[in-house]
Amino acid sequence: MIGAVECSASQIEDFDAVVELHWPRVFRFALASLRDRDAAGSVAQDCFFKAYRSRERFRGDCSIQTWLMQIAVNLVRDHGRNRRLQFWKRAQSSAVDLDAVSQWIPDGGASPESRALAKEQLAAVWSATASLPERQRTVFLLRFVEDMGLPDIAAATGIKEGTVKTHLFRALQSVRERMGRLS
Amino acid sequence: MNQHLSSQQISSWLIGERTPQAAEHVRECDECSAELARAGAVLQMFRGSVRRFSEAHSGGPAQRGWAAGPPRRGFRLRPAGLAWAAAVLMIVAIPLYRGLQPRDVGRQQPRAEPALADALLLEQVDAELSRTVPQPMEPLMRLVSWDPGLTDESKDSRGAAAGNQVDR
Repeated sequence: MIGAVECSASQIEDFDAVVELHWPRVFRFALASLRDRDAAGSVAQDCFFKAYRSRERFRGDCSIQTWLMQIAVNLVRDHGRNRRLQFWKRAQSSAVDLDAVSQWIPDGGASPESRALAKEQLAAVWSATASLPERQRTVFLLRFVEDMGLPDIAAATGIKEGTVKTHLFRALQSVRERMGRLS
Repeated sequence: MNQHLSSQQISSWLIGERTPQAAEHVRECDECSAELARAGAVLQMFRGSVRRFSEAHSGGPAQRGWAAGPPRRGFRLRPAGLAWAAAVLMIVAIPLYRGLQPRDVGRQQPRAEPALADALLLEQVDAELSRTVPQPMEPLMRLVSWDPGLTDESKDSRGAAAGNQVDR
């Protein structure tokens, strides 16, 4: 269950509520994809701006979340292509630091050794997702971070469900291979 | 199924592809179920860390200026826009430049040579006009006086007078 709020086309009229509800998810996907806080904020802003402008064309064929993620996926892809030209931006201060992300692990009363291992594994997954091809990374994040089902991922990415499954399998193999080097 | 799950089978399991044989093996095999649990826990931890990190840095739509509705955007040049503008400028500028180039050359070169030629021609014309007879005949013309105010008769009388003076 992806936890999406099924909204009809009429419910999108209250766009502020839509923004309030879906902003965290769009921002999170952009952040995990781009690893840059400022870029993720821009993508989220652009996503809702585009959605606002085209809200009259939304007919409710899919959930608002899937519709928004579809826009976000395209924006992230475009941003990634632009960033290849703006290579100097890689060194900007808003880039996500792997060490900082790895700090965000649940405590759960674990021993220092197991916490250290968990931190390493977490860093390995972050690092592995960064090196995945674009489509594999998108599918992996939508499945394992946003908890979306395969049909919703297919709708959001415009890829056939069978192909989504293939990308997801390959992405997971790569990530597990990186994790396996630690164990 | 007695053999342990392969790496591919574990990945398939994690993405939701679960065959009855694999499910039966996982129920019986502690090692494979532990491997699945470990991989699942790491993925769960990854999800949790991304969500917490994102919540801490999101700022939310209000901080991003969305609270009062969609932002009004001014003109913003993006790299793609700049590239397009440069391409359009080149497309317009190159033919203009090429169109101007031959005109300038054509204007500068004929300007000096015909001026000189014209001056020489004018000098020649002036010289020809200033002569009443061709140049080789000019010494003979000095012997002949020509007065347009005299008639043939007066010429004759003057000639006779001149003859009388010579005779004398």
